Amino acid sequence: MNVHVHPTQEFRFMRPDDGIKKGDPLLVVDDISLSFGGVKAITDISFDILKGEIRAIIGPNGAGKTSMLNVINGFYHPQKGTITFRGQKRSRMRPHEAANHGIARTFQNIALFNGMSVLDNIMTGRITLMKRNMLWQALWRGPAETEEIENREIVERIIDFLEIEYIRKTPVGRLPYGLQKRVELGRALAAEPSLLLLDEPMAGMNLEEKEDMSRYILDVNQQFGTTIALIEHDMGVVMDLSDRVVVLDYGQKIGDGTPDAVRNNQDVIDAYLGVSHD
Amino acid sequence: MSPAFLNFIEIFINGLMAGIMYSLVALGFVLIFKASGIFNFAQGVMALFAALTLVGLQTGQVPFSHLINAIFGTDIHDWGPGLPTFLAILLTMVVMIALAWVLEKFVLNHLINQEPIILFMATIGLAYFLEGFGDLMWGSDVKTLDVGLPSGGSFWWEDVTRAWAPEDADYWGMYIDKLDISATIIAVVLVTALSLFSQYTATGRALRAVADDHQAALSVGISLRKIWVIVWSIAGFVALVAGIMWGSKSGVQFSLSLIALKALPVLILGGFTSIPGAIVGGLIIGVGEKLAEAYIGPMVGGAIENWFAYVVALAFLLFRPQGLFGDRIIERI
Amino acid sequence: MPKSGQKAGRKPVTFPQYLVLNAERYADRTAMRHKSYGIWQSWSWPELFEEIRAFSLGLRELGLKKGDKVAIVGSNRPRLYWSFCAIQALGGVPVPVYADSVAEEMVYVLEHAEVVMAICQDQEQVDKVLSMQDKLTSLQRVLYDEVRGMRDYDQEHLFSIDSIQARGAEIFKSSGDADWIEAIDRGEGADLAVMLYTSGTTGRPKGVMLSFDNLVISALNGNAFDHLDEHEQTIAYLPLAWVGDHIFSYAQAYTAGYCVCCPESPDTVTEDRREIAPTYFFAPPRVFEILLTQIMVRMEDAGKTKKRMFDNFMAHARKVGEPILNGEPVGLADRIKYWIGEILVYGPLKNRMGFSGLKVGYTAGEAIGPEIFRFYRALGLNLKQLYGQTEASVYITAQPDGEIRADTVGRPSPDVEIRIDEDSGEVLYRSPGVFLGYYKNDEATRTTKTEEGWVHTGDAGFFDQEGHLKIIDRAKDVGKLANGNLFAPKYIENKLKFFPNIKEAVAFGDGRPYCTVFLNIDLTSVASWAERNNISYASYQELAAHPEVYRMMEEHVDQVNRELAAEEMMAGSQIHRFLVLHKELDADDGELTRTQKVRRSFISERYEPLIEALYDGSTSKHVETEVIFEDGRKGKIAATVEIREMKEHAPSFAKEAAE
Repeated sequence: MNVHVHPTQEFRFMRPDDGIKKGDPLLVVDDISLSFGGVKAITDISFDILKGEIRAIIGPNGAGKTSMLNVINGFYHPQKGTITFRGQKRSRMRPHEAANHGIARTFQNIALFNGMSVLDNIMTGRITLMKRNMLWQALWRGPAETEEIENREIVERIIDFLEIEYIRKTPVGRLPYGLQKRVELGRALAAEPSLLLLDEPMAGMNLEEKEDMSRYILDVNQQFGTTIALIEHDMGVVMDLSDRVVVLDYGQKIGDGTPDAVRNNQDVIDAYLGVSHD
Repeated sequence: MSPAFLNFIEIFINGLMAGIMYSLVALGFVLIFKASGIFNFAQGVMALFAALTLVGLQTGQVPFSHLINAIFGTDIHDWGPGLPTFLAILLTMVVMIALAWVLEKFVLNHLINQEPIILFMATIGLAYFLEGFGDLMWGSDVKTLDVGLPSGGSFWWEDVTRAWAPEDADYWGMYIDKLDISATIIAVVLVTALSLFSQYTATGRALRAVADDHQAALSVGISLRKIWVIVWSIAGFVALVAGIMWGSKSGVQFSLSLIALKALPVLILGGFTSIPGAIVGGLIIGVGEKLAEAYIGPMVGGAIENWFAYVVALAFLLFRPQGLFGDRIIERI
Repeated sequence: MPKSGQKAGRKPVTFPQYLVLNAERYADRTAMRHKSYGIWQSWSWPELFEEIRAFSLGLRELGLKKGDKVAIVGSNRPRLYWSFCAIQALGGVPVPVYADSVAEEMVYVLEHAEVVMAICQDQEQVDKVLSMQDKLTSLQRVLYDEVRGMRDYDQEHLFSIDSIQARGAEIFKSSGDADWIEAIDRGEGADLAVMLYTSGTTGRPKGVMLSFDNLVISALNGNAFDHLDEHEQTIAYLPLAWVGDHIFSYAQAYTAGYCVCCPESPDTVTEDRREIAPTYFFAPPRVFEILLTQIMVRMEDAGKTKKRMFDNFMAHARKVGEPILNGEPVGLADRIKYWIGEILVYGPLKNRMGFSGLKVGYTAGEAIGPEIFRFYRALGLNLKQLYGQTEASVYITAQPDGEIRADTVGRPSPDVEIRIDEDSGEVLYRSPGVFLGYYKNDEATRTTKTEEGWVHTGDAGFFDQEGHLKIIDRAKDVGKLANGNLFAPKYIENKLKFFPNIKEAVAFGDGRPYCTVFLNIDLTSVASWAERNNISYASYQELAAHPEVYRMMEEHVDQVNRELAAEEMMAGSQIHRFLVLHKELDADDGELTRTQKVRRSFISERYEPLIEALYDGSTSKHVETEVIFEDGRKGKIAATVEIREMKEHAPSFAKEAAE
């Protein structure tokens, strides 16, 4: 008798729940300052990200948005302040630790493994969830084999979700930009993250690709219940997608609230219109 | 077949086998270069160190005996009859892994995000340190290494090939060293195993990921430090294999570390980032060297084997600087 | 295991009856495969039987009755194929619909067919059906296959196929399937089996009613003609609403018992076909054209050695490939070279295209370019042509093995009678496959089907000396130039379209002093050519208007004129003037039908200024054209289109008749 895989349910994450109730703070950024040499990138910034929401971080160029994301996932270590993620307070975290705790991200300039296939790229997203000993892997038997197959199945679900079956075996370096962005999202999803950080997921896309990407982001948020923090330049997209927005300018927080509140905030309007500071 | 043609085949085969040995060393370089962008000058010395350790464990030498004797005035050399070969190899491997760990912990970890040239300098330092440390630990005398691999010419092959030549020809069959044959087999197994490992396992995937893009690798939760330990351990393992092969062939001594220099033209030919490149490059250099020695050597007075490879590499640099299989390097200006 | 309730000795006459039989006689053979999550899932005939029974019992529970029409909207997925049989088992009538048609097109069919239920593939199709619900008064239930995106739908009449199947399985568990089997046994060959709406080039689609006898007898004849049995494998990738797919992926599969494979998604068909290596394959000429273009583009980009090897062996294959395939005598040296070529070139090529297991391949629907046709034949592929219609349950004529011509469509299929109308040259046929009639359209039925059962094909053609049918054009399209010369637009267009650089051509000339054409460049092929020749361009429009492209088109048109000059009937209708259109003809703009055929009259209206310019002697013309984007928004593109004058060739045909 054959076994037929036909999901009667939509694909959902299997990662055990992180214990935070929907609407409670998942991540709290408290009084963070970061500087490079003498240059201050971020000054005394605090905000929180609630479980289940889509949180946008916006601001003019050089406002410190990407730096903020890099602090959250451990690429940069702030000189001051703490980050509380899933109730655990810490001041510095290495990137791979952040990943292990359920923070996945994409990059502004796409950081995929260009020489590897789409499938392999997304499989790397599951590295934090594959715990079998390297020796088992070397033998490719027993538990490691089972683990590989289980993880492959989940990755196939993600490939299906993102509708990229037809490029499964293609090296990502050969794909057009829009598809690479989608593969990168796939790799981040493969980690079944509690918090998904998206750094300008729609940069450089045409209108149709943007609409596709928005749909995927909303689907991820609703279907998987994943909390998402995103940086985006396209204001239309930000206001449509996000539940709450935090606005940075010159490394400082100048606004925080619902899209409507932020839209009417005078400081924000000034920042975007380029009213000179001090 | 005429004896001249049979001779050609013999030289060709011997060239291939010598080439495999070069490939083995080059492989160690490529592994580390791909994963961390470091040109590991110490790869040759690692082979020497591995071979020294193996001999020491096999013969039951007491490490640092000279030092101990000099300080404490004792006269100890051996602690017993030594370990069986298999156990000795296993233990040497443990030592190499420990070396990789120590290296990561005390050297590489402090040099993260430094210029490649700095890291290269660090490996030069490492090479000299390891050489001295090896001497100190196991003594500087020439040692013989025997792990039980067959050696000497294959009579069977001689007989077979003898029959290929015409009855009346003055031909006595081909000489092929059995040690070379074992080396070839071991190298093939090693490379196959390595490529299977990197293609089909999660750790292999992580290795490839790190080789491709550090930042992205970090973001998916790969610990660079762990990967570096693994890579240097694998490089240590490859060095051990190379050390065993070269050591069995020509004894364990300082000159063993110079095989690293032989790997350079191989790398230039094959490219620094390509494992198949290291193999094919090694074979080309091996065959080219032997053929040149046999057919061009006599015309110019012989002994061109030592520098022929470098000339080939130099010529190659002019036409294809990225190597046969290497990634094309285009710097936008 | 299914219990056969069939009356002993009675041959099955409906597909549900064949399902029951196959579950017994092919108990260990695979009936269907589907690639899903990267793995080929498979169902044996008994498993298929169980799935369909569960589905069918579930549908019965939902209230589906004999005579009810059910729309099936979606692409080639197993559950949609099962729905055919599950509906027919209850005496219902499936009405497959083109999945890519826009809501307005679909609403007409669903309304006209009075469907009570719609079975949709996914959210997209469900949305389409729900959006026109207020017009569909008879529609009671909507089912869907893929659950994705359906979580927020709370309509009470919306069900997943899974839930229906689960319900059906429960019913079977509690009360068995005796009554269900009995109902299947009562099925008669004369019963209405399916309604297929033809996307005619003019007017509203018509619902062609086909009986089980029509389909089963045609399928059995087809199986016998090509020696198809339970060992075949096909890949289902053509629209479900198209009669070809209904015959090849359903009727023939059930009667012969072979395996139908559904691709993972429409984008993966080529890859999936390679993995399956079908033994029986069907494609319209366009598919073969695209495949060949892809190969040629790839070869242009390949290394020198590879390219030389390819050219050399392909030249050899063109010389001896077809004779070998036809079983004609060929010298040993040539055979050996062909054999080497098989290993080095033909084999890998066939594997890449997914044809390495091919036993019989068919092309139909339109004329195929002789060069393209020969290319595949030369590789040793048994590619044949057939001529068919929805109204005939496909088969009218087909080429028997060994009697293959690029320019004919073969001999009458088994049990088919053909006659040519003497006045109009129109082809008429009569066969067991002839349809019952058009649904709710007796007038159209009467004008198409005579009282003696002859059906008008609407195509003009003739039999050649060997008894093969040759089709020239649509009977109503064949016209006359002002000087009385015969003008067969399709014939000229096809000759043009056989050039890989020309995607589409539209010829004008009826009642006019001479023949003129619109051309559409083939973007894939011309773009690759442009890249090789360092021609830069920013858009389709710019490329189409490029002087070098025009020069290339001139050469092609000249070549066609030379060919026309060599044919007695056609020498008078050579192309005098042509232009390259600034936009691609598109089904979304109504310029092509959903099956990618040119809508001649629509184009004549839409581009009237351009046609006038072709006849008033001007050398260029500025036009603005409205286009509809995929998301339904409208836009305008403006361009100045250049017109080129061509030389006429002196007639060069050999006057056979005079001798």
